[in-house]
Amino acid sequence: MPRVAGVTPELQHRVEQFYYREARLLDGRRYQTWLGLCTEDIRYVMPGRTNPLVDNAERGREEMISVERELEDSDSAGLPIRDESYPYLAMRVQRAYAPNSWADNPPARTRRIIGNVEIRSASDDALEVVSNFHLFFSRPGSSNFLYAGQRRDVLRRVEDDLRIAARVIVMDVADIQVPTLGLFF
Amino acid sequence: MPFRVRDLVNDEATLISRRAWSDPAVYELEKRGIFGRAWLFLAHESQIRNPGDYVQAYMCETPIIVARGADLGIHASVNSCTHRGLPVCRTDHGNTNGFVCPYHAWSYDVTGRLRGIPQERQVKKRPDKRKLGLKKVPRVETWNGMIFGSFAEGIEPLEDYLGDMRFYLGAFFDRFPEGVEFVGAPQRWVIDANWKLPMENQLGDVNHGPFLHASIVPPEANQEIVDHGFSVVPGAGHGATFRLMPEDTPIEQVAWGFEAMPSLLGGPEVHEYLREIHARAAERVGPLRSRIKGLTFGVYPNLSFLWSNTAFKVSHPRGPGKVEYWSWSVVPADAPESIKKVLRGNHTSFFGPGGILEQEDSEAWMQQFRGANIDFADDRPFFYGLGEGEEGPHPDMPGLVSSTANEFYARQFFQRWRAALEAVEEA
Repeated sequence: MPRVAGVTPELQHRVEQFYYREARLLDGRRYQTWLGLCTEDIRYVMPGRTNPLVDNAERGREEMISVERELEDSDSAGLPIRDESYPYLAMRVQRAYAPNSWADNPPARTRRIIGNVEIRSASDDALEVVSNFHLFFSRPGSSNFLYAGQRRDVLRRVEDDLRIAARVIVMDVADIQVPTLGLFF
Repeated sequence: MPFRVRDLVNDEATLISRRAWSDPAVYELEKRGIFGRAWLFLAHESQIRNPGDYVQAYMCETPIIVARGADLGIHASVNSCTHRGLPVCRTDHGNTNGFVCPYHAWSYDVTGRLRGIPQERQVKKRPDKRKLGLKKVPRVETWNGMIFGSFAEGIEPLEDYLGDMRFYLGAFFDRFPEGVEFVGAPQRWVIDANWKLPMENQLGDVNHGPFLHASIVPPEANQEIVDHGFSVVPGAGHGATFRLMPEDTPIEQVAWGFEAMPSLLGGPEVHEYLREIHARAAERVGPLRSRIKGLTFGVYPNLSFLWSNTAFKVSHPRGPGKVEYWSWSVVPADAPESIKKVLRGNHTSFFGPGGILEQEDSEAWMQQFRGANIDFADDRPFFYGLGEGEEGPHPDMPGLVSSTANEFYARQFFQRWRAALEAVEEA
């Protein structure tokens, strides 16, 4: 199995524990504490995902049906579903504790399972990590929903801890029938 | 239980039956009486610039391919093979020289013309391919790059249909030297609501803002609406709401773009661009319209426009209780790429399926549909009477004009709606 330079079992364990703590805070609706896990220069993106035309020149090759082809450009030619900096995330956090945030009154019950944590690169400053999530979502009077997707993170090393410096969320729902994509994934 | 359309909406349209929102029989009338007879928004020309470019669209529940032909003309065809009815286009957008049905490989060019039937060599009597193309949308017209289609061959020209709504939409389109373009693919998502409520919400319902959105919208934003807000019905079923700012308003408080967070955070380059656009707005759209600081616009029956969070939206019905909502971000075509990238965010994150504001709207629309289904409250129709009779003409602006608390925009919509359904009701 190819090893990624600088990735030790200890580092893998630390990253996994970081994600479990993050999921526990979010499921516990402790968004203010969660926000502290983000760097102030965070970029938090959920690209749009479409069903593009297959390129005949790519037939027979893996590229033909790659997930990347389905993701809308993050440059000006594409429209993301979310493209947020720290002030946006702070606004969402603030909103969560306003009693007149009606879409969250009463609040949703969520349970996140984070898995397939893979450190793709490691330097002294930062790690590139991909992980998968299943997120169960339930509100009174509504159906239950399961969200699934992948997170592509840049985690920055700070002292003995980690911080989320960038997150790209690749959402797997094709027809968006879930009540909101405005959650913290 | 049978009903008469006139029992769903009273003459003044101050009372709207719950069944107008929830009854499947009403929806069947809407399909024929409204969506079969109106101009419906399909796409923007910037999405299909080159021959072979296409996007998918809907007219009510009917799937449509909108394509740029080799003749550079715009063609709209129903996405359903003439042989067995399968969709021949299976992707959202792209560039192609034709579509092939997966079932028996009948092939069509992007204009919908039938090009090939693989089986025809094995039969004696060859079908007449000229008669077997995809069903064409009989009327397709554009205004300011906006492509509309209609199933009604005899419908009035699009410009007449829009009428004085062009005055208000033009206050936006015409202030940009090269018009606007749509960014990427639309956001599309499903909401368990009736299609009319998202429409009504943007047609003139400014007054839910300070309440439903109070967790995000600051009180001073509402004060500006109270002080300077107008609601206009340029023609029944259309609507425009905006603030008409005083002549001495500082540029940042009147110019398009400054109200949304990405622009605000966008830095000096973005701010300079927005100031430049506004500096020439009076020359481009006239002094009065340059002072328009828009809120929400609506075009009958199901197209909406958000001024500050610049987006066009279509509420596509999927039955009486389901909407597929489409939302496109719009940017000025002349802006440099780096500025477009910032401005597209004026829509993203506040609206759309992950929108900070929109999630409250979706919640309200879903909850309203539940209320519309309550069995034993048929004798308690929804009240639409706020501000009845307070609208009137304005010396400088076309249409009926009033304060933003007046619900006449909705009454006018439902009067047109009632007439449209009565026209197709069985005698």
